[in-house]
Amino acid sequence: MDTYVLGLAMHPPAVWVANKRLEEMVFDTAKAALDDARIDRQQLDHISIAGCDELDGRSISSMLLSAPAGAYLKDEIKTTDSGLIGFCLEAMRIESGRYHLGLLSSWNKSSTAPLEDVMRMRCEPFFTRPIGLNMSIADGLFAQSVSYTYKISAADLSNAVVESYKRAEKNPRGMRASVPSASEIDASPYVAAPLRKIQQAPVTDGGVSMVICSGDWLNKHPGSKPLAKLSGLAWRIDEYQLGSERLGSLNGFKETFKRATSMTDFGQTQLNVVELDSQTAFHDVAFRRALDLSAGCEVSPSGGPFAQNPYFCSGLVQAAEAVLQVSGRAGAVQVKNAKRAAAHGCHGFAQQGNAVAVFEGV
Amino acid sequence: MPNKNRVAVIGVGETAFKTNVSEKTYVELAQDAAKAALDDAGLVPDDIDAIVFSMAPTQFMGVNDVEKWAVDSVWAAGKPFMRIHTGGATGGSALHAGYAHVASGMYRTVLVVGADRVSDTPDAQHILNLIWDLFYEHDFALNTVTMTALSTQRYMHQHGTTEEQYARVVVRSRKNALKNPHAHLKGNITIDDVMKSPRISWPYKLFDICPRSTGAAAVVLANQEMTKKHCSRPAFINGIGGLTSTVFMGDRVGPYADAELSAEAEFITAGKEACTQAGITNPMKQIQVVELYDPFSSTQFPQLESIGFCKPGEAQRLSDEGAFDHGAMLTVNPSGGTLCSNPIGVTGLVRVADAALQVMGKAGESQVPGVRNALATAIGGSVQFVSCTILGADHV
Repeated sequence: MDTYVLGLAMHPPAVWVANKRLEEMVFDTAKAALDDARIDRQQLDHISIAGCDELDGRSISSMLLSAPAGAYLKDEIKTTDSGLIGFCLEAMRIESGRYHLGLLSSWNKSSTAPLEDVMRMRCEPFFTRPIGLNMSIADGLFAQSVSYTYKISAADLSNAVVESYKRAEKNPRGMRASVPSASEIDASPYVAAPLRKIQQAPVTDGGVSMVICSGDWLNKHPGSKPLAKLSGLAWRIDEYQLGSERLGSLNGFKETFKRATSMTDFGQTQLNVVELDSQTAFHDVAFRRALDLSAGCEVSPSGGPFAQNPYFCSGLVQAAEAVLQVSGRAGAVQVKNAKRAAAHGCHGFAQQGNAVAVFEGV
Repeated sequence: MPNKNRVAVIGVGETAFKTNVSEKTYVELAQDAAKAALDDAGLVPDDIDAIVFSMAPTQFMGVNDVEKWAVDSVWAAGKPFMRIHTGGATGGSALHAGYAHVASGMYRTVLVVGADRVSDTPDAQHILNLIWDLFYEHDFALNTVTMTALSTQRYMHQHGTTEEQYARVVVRSRKNALKNPHAHLKGNITIDDVMKSPRISWPYKLFDICPRSTGAAAVVLANQEMTKKHCSRPAFINGIGGLTSTVFMGDRVGPYADAELSAEAEFITAGKEACTQAGITNPMKQIQVVELYDPFSSTQFPQLESIGFCKPGEAQRLSDEGAFDHGAMLTVNPSGGTLCSNPIGVTGLVRVADAALQVMGKAGESQVPGVRNALATAIGGSVQFVSCTILGADHV
């Protein structure tokens, strides 16, 4: 592949970004990414957006958000799946040879939207909606299934919660929530058995923007130094129905990782860092067990969604953290000698969709 | 066109467009279109590498992220899949995203598919009121009808256009639609019929406005190798152009506007980009068919002028003279266009599909003889998202 990340920015996360409209959040993040890449908006030849109408509470949210995302009088396309799928779209536009310098933005201000209601309305009207399925229940079904497949114990889960929060506490770009005590974990209520509330990564507001360019553009601008090279990219959707095979096998997750890493000159075992979109402790444990990683590979040093979890663009946050790792800019959570990092994102009920991007330092 | 790989349309599928399709679910409609496109291309689902789903606001049919429900029905499970949504321009943007899939060299074949059930909502225009800014515009009774009525009034003031001239566009479209088995509205009507239809928002009468349609469409895109293997007469995607403008209509009027509202001037840039890529220097001479996104009778003239088929203010005269009739100087919307069928989430894709059919020589009774180049457009938001696609019999 011949696609590079030239600059990036993340909006500081918060449970509720109360002092800004969504337009202001998106503008501030997009502007910060352009500044990071030392690019003027006029130089861009296209824009990609990843946004969710339903979470934004509007019918065509990009009508108001495309301009703050830098798209005024630019060739812009929006995808609605997730932030990391937006990255896939953006990368393909660059790889097509038709575009050379773009800005990708994705955001989440679900503090202003009833998240579980939005998720419940994702159910089709005949079978799953009448039984009251929502995001927590779908994650509970996932938890049941992977507990069986990956032999996950209560101790594994408690350890995953504590370790995730420990890593997240160090992340300067995260919420820096305190690490819960053993008694807090034990007292946490069930939201959908066997899933407990404390095992869920709390959803936050947030946003990510990235400036992406082609190798051709870099050749013509030798003064610009990219943060990372995209080495592998894959995404996939799985069946809609929540059967045990779909939930417990993690076939979509594993296959997406395999496809993305197979595009690189190295393999999965040569990764130094993996940032996972683990929405619950069950995800964290199951994902780790499903991958074939080397002992030295650091998994979610950023704390993943337990550091910040702007739900719709959480996968793109993981990509930003991976890029920061291979460019040596991860700060307090920097992994020593991180040269190759993979980022994972998922979307849809119980991870119907998965995406993986692999980055190398330049 | 400076892309790495050639991209062509090798299969097209459309369902019939109607107000209601009570015998099929949303996902079954999408499957019908996908199956028709695959059959047309001579492919089976396993031949498809990736899927792009075309769907605008899901509020029209009441299932959030409805494309995920359709995954199994369009044989996408286990494959790369993404949904594109740029309002009314969605189908055009989805086609451009599908183009990027193939042009990047990452995929050999892509199915671009979508469906919409606009009439499942009791009040589409209420949903379309919610596209506006909460603080400034919700309360202005803005919707897509009143919004475009305002820009039409401005165009009429600038160019002296009459309501009868717009009525002639409707008459031509309904007549063309008679030859399109998929069209929703069709018939031999008169200018007088249009003028006597109920007033909606000046200058619009009921017949100046598109229907709310239910239906689905799909196209199969392929790289050079798969095109050679499966299609003897493809429609090559030779030019793509897109542009996003400001949501605020007030910023698009006056001497300092970057893109004039009444002229749909975003098409100057998007059309020029697509034409340049496709080697089109004189659109009126080199393009034989256009499939314009025209949900209102007033939408054709500014597009034709901004893309460069004629000078500003000339389209109405050419229309009166019959220059845009079937088989004349430039055949405009031989399918009947959006005025006759508007399943919003796929309308832009239908434009591309119908343009591709003309290039492929598969348009049936709608076929215009000797089509070498066809152009398709799409428009979304407050006429702020536009896309332009040029399809050719030869690769440029």
